[in-house]
Amino acid sequence: MSVQQLERFRSLSPAEFFYRNKEIAGFSNPARALYQSIRELVENALDATDSYGILPVIKVSIDSGVIPDKPEVYLISVEDNGIGIPPDNIPQAFAQLLYSSKYVLRQTRGMFGIGVKMAVLYSQITTGKPVEVLSSTINSSRIYMFRLSIDIKSNKPVIHHKASFKKSNDWHGTIVKLFIEGDWNRAKSKVYEYFKRTAIIAPYATIILKDPTDNVVYFKRSTTLMPRPPKEVKPHPHGVDIELLKMLISNTTTTTLKEFLMEEFQGIGEVTSKTIIELLKLDPNKDPKGLSNDEIELLAKVLKEFNNFKPPRPDSLSYLGEEIIKIGLESILKPEFVAANTRKPGVYEGHAFIVEVGLAYGGNIPPSEEPLLLRFANKIPLLYDERSDVSWKVVNQNIDWSLYEVEKPAPLAVLVHICSTKIPYKGVGKESIADVPEIENEIEKGVREVARELKSYIVRKRKEREEVEKAVGIIKYIPDIAKSLSSIVNDVQYNSLSNELFKLVLKKFKNVKFKSVDDVVVSVE
Amino acid sequence: MKLTSSVDVKVRKKALEVLRDRFKELVNQILAGENPTIVIPKRTLSNTVYDEGRKLLLLGPDTLSRSFLDVRESKKFMQTVLMASIIYNALTNDEYPTIRDLFYRGKHTIRYRGPEGKVLGENTWDSQRESDSIIRDLEVFINMLREELLILSKEKGKVVGNMRIRSGDDVIDLSKMGHGAYSIEPTPDLIEFLDVDAEYVLIVEKDAVFQQLHRAGFWRKYKALLITSAGQPDRATRRFVRRLSEELKLPIYILTDSDPYGWYIYSVFKIGSITLSYESERLATPWLRFLGVMPSDIFGDVNIKKKPYLSESERRNYIIKAKERDIKRAKELINYKWFQTSRWKAEINIFLEKEAKLEIEALTSKGLKFLMDEYIPRKIEVKDWMD
Repeated sequence: MSVQQLERFRSLSPAEFFYRNKEIAGFSNPARALYQSIRELVENALDATDSYGILPVIKVSIDSGVIPDKPEVYLISVEDNGIGIPPDNIPQAFAQLLYSSKYVLRQTRGMFGIGVKMAVLYSQITTGKPVEVLSSTINSSRIYMFRLSIDIKSNKPVIHHKASFKKSNDWHGTIVKLFIEGDWNRAKSKVYEYFKRTAIIAPYATIILKDPTDNVVYFKRSTTLMPRPPKEVKPHPHGVDIELLKMLISNTTTTTLKEFLMEEFQGIGEVTSKTIIELLKLDPNKDPKGLSNDEIELLAKVLKEFNNFKPPRPDSLSYLGEEIIKIGLESILKPEFVAANTRKPGVYEGHAFIVEVGLAYGGNIPPSEEPLLLRFANKIPLLYDERSDVSWKVVNQNIDWSLYEVEKPAPLAVLVHICSTKIPYKGVGKESIADVPEIENEIEKGVREVARELKSYIVRKRKEREEVEKAVGIIKYIPDIAKSLSSIVNDVQYNSLSNELFKLVLKKFKNVKFKSVDDVVVSVE
Repeated sequence: MKLTSSVDVKVRKKALEVLRDRFKELVNQILAGENPTIVIPKRTLSNTVYDEGRKLLLLGPDTLSRSFLDVRESKKFMQTVLMASIIYNALTNDEYPTIRDLFYRGKHTIRYRGPEGKVLGENTWDSQRESDSIIRDLEVFINMLREELLILSKEKGKVVGNMRIRSGDDVIDLSKMGHGAYSIEPTPDLIEFLDVDAEYVLIVEKDAVFQQLHRAGFWRKYKALLITSAGQPDRATRRFVRRLSEELKLPIYILTDSDPYGWYIYSVFKIGSITLSYESERLATPWLRFLGVMPSDIFGDVNIKKKPYLSESERRNYIIKAKERDIKRAKELINYKWFQTSRWKAEINIFLEKEAKLEIEALTSKGLKFLMDEYIPRKIEVKDWMD
């Protein structure tokens, strides 16, 4: 959903607009809506923790039968141990669409603050119940509680109930409780898959899930390593469009065009600013708020086409790093081999991005013709539309796995994580990533890198296995040989012959780890 | 009461000694931390050489090393040692196993964990072919024949004639066998020749023809020792014939069907077989003469001015059209070095030209008297035989 599209619906309030177009935010049916709401709440919870260096502890409970005679209504409750939300911001944060305080960029899971409000909107439309939010910031001595709904016509929060309590401990974080009409039976497998993949990408989080059947799944934190929190950066001129430009202008405190360019964008210094204003043939001291629509359009065009900006800075990106990816794959998939590769930052259309690739092989991974593909965008698992994703194309079409000694069906999982301040989603569902050549190229290089590591592992394993096979092929005959020889040559014992023969085998096959003949031979009869 | 013969007791003692000495070498290698290795001559066609001078098929100089640590040879190593121990135990227990017994005594299942941890089973050997081959390996390794290890086989060869022998502790008169005959024992080396009154030895491929000649008194009338191998000769029959030839200096003649299989029987008696070439020195009879039936006996040969023994109409009735595999076999035989005399080539070429074979029985159909009083004596008299 881009801002331009919104423009055409100005006469509608955003709340009304989203209500009429709920499928675009992933709320097309009760099953999908349940799944999507859980997701939005969990992602907010994770953003409130790992973006601020807090090791997440996320508790999720999904209950049914919470309203008499309405079995289709579920209560979703998500608790995090994040930074908490200041009480003044809570109503807008949960009950006003498109509310955002600043137009700075940094990579978080939710970008425009739409998702959780869609869940609130959907909740109130299907159940008529307000959302309940409890939150406390780190240094606050109180916990604040709100019951909220959205006034659809005006897109303003309605506060049904507000309270605060004194904190008796140092708890901080947020608890959100939401009633929603859903379909657990149809949502179940996707919800579980979502949590499993979230646990892979965030092995530093502890996540507890209780489902409507009271089944509890506990994803225990397997590392205290965390990704570096993203820094806030200003927009890069190449990534700016007219709408964003208008928002920057309306929010800026600068008073001249020259200062506006230098202050509100990354990569523009005094010299570049001057050059651009010359290209625009405008007065450098002109108040940016006084720019006409035509002038804004021209400015957007010049910023897009000018080629001498420094490339966008990747500081805003929060990548996981190879170690975390490997830990995540290991702890959830229990493979016998993992590899990971975090690529250097790249740029497409003025947006910085980083591709990370992970690979897991063998162990508990079930063999299949197509590798198990684990896609993530800004740490969010992507579960739908797999075949239209650029990663699917790379993994299943660009790469010939047999070159890497992988024989299909193979117990193989490939993880692709794309971090960017703007993920190039294909379509409105935000479930698959478009074939942007720069990104595709980095994914392919990353996959080839980990595939090479896999290849040398497979080759090494094969050699070791062959050696074990050979050793077994000899050791199995030791009892018969020792017994036969000791029965012909009377003055030698079975045991000493057996031991000496076994030592000979170990001397020849150094990688073989058997302790005695009995490790191989079960019986001779 | 003495149950076994004194001859056997002696043989047993020697065999046990040889086995102990030979396998002690392997034990010493193992205790010295060396890879125990059995070195034996290769028993393959490529390592079978025809010794022109001695007219024998012999083992060539190639050896193979069968070592414990060689993955491909490890099983054979185990099998060889296993077979040796079974034979050793049989010798100690005063037993006389057959090769079939040895197969059963050594056959058992090794259960072991494969590389994946799954328990797998493997038999020490699956077929008697496999264990028989190991027996042959063992014979060449310890340089002793199975007969010397008191391994018995089915008796197949028979002999009658004016001769007395000692077998075990008994004296046997081969002229007093009634309508039966003496079955040549599996250990012919333990037979002692006491006395003989015969001018030559005649081997007949077919048991039925042997019986007819025996009951008609052929051997009495012509002072012969009459032997049948009943098809492909076993080792005992071959060794017995060899001893008659070597020790009693008797001329040996053989009568087989006129086809490549008959000729190959002659060849096995005379120069040895490929699978058993290691024992040719003791089993083959290089002085053996092929008496018949020759293709020229049937069709005559103008080149040597030989007339056929059969008339045109007899030929028509008795000969059988050669099958494709007979032709193929004949073409192989003609290439063997020991068939490359001008006379043999001529005979095989008559066969290839006429594509006709003949069984010995055809000659008895013409009349037992013809075979006994005409064909055999005349051919011997005019020296119509081939080397």
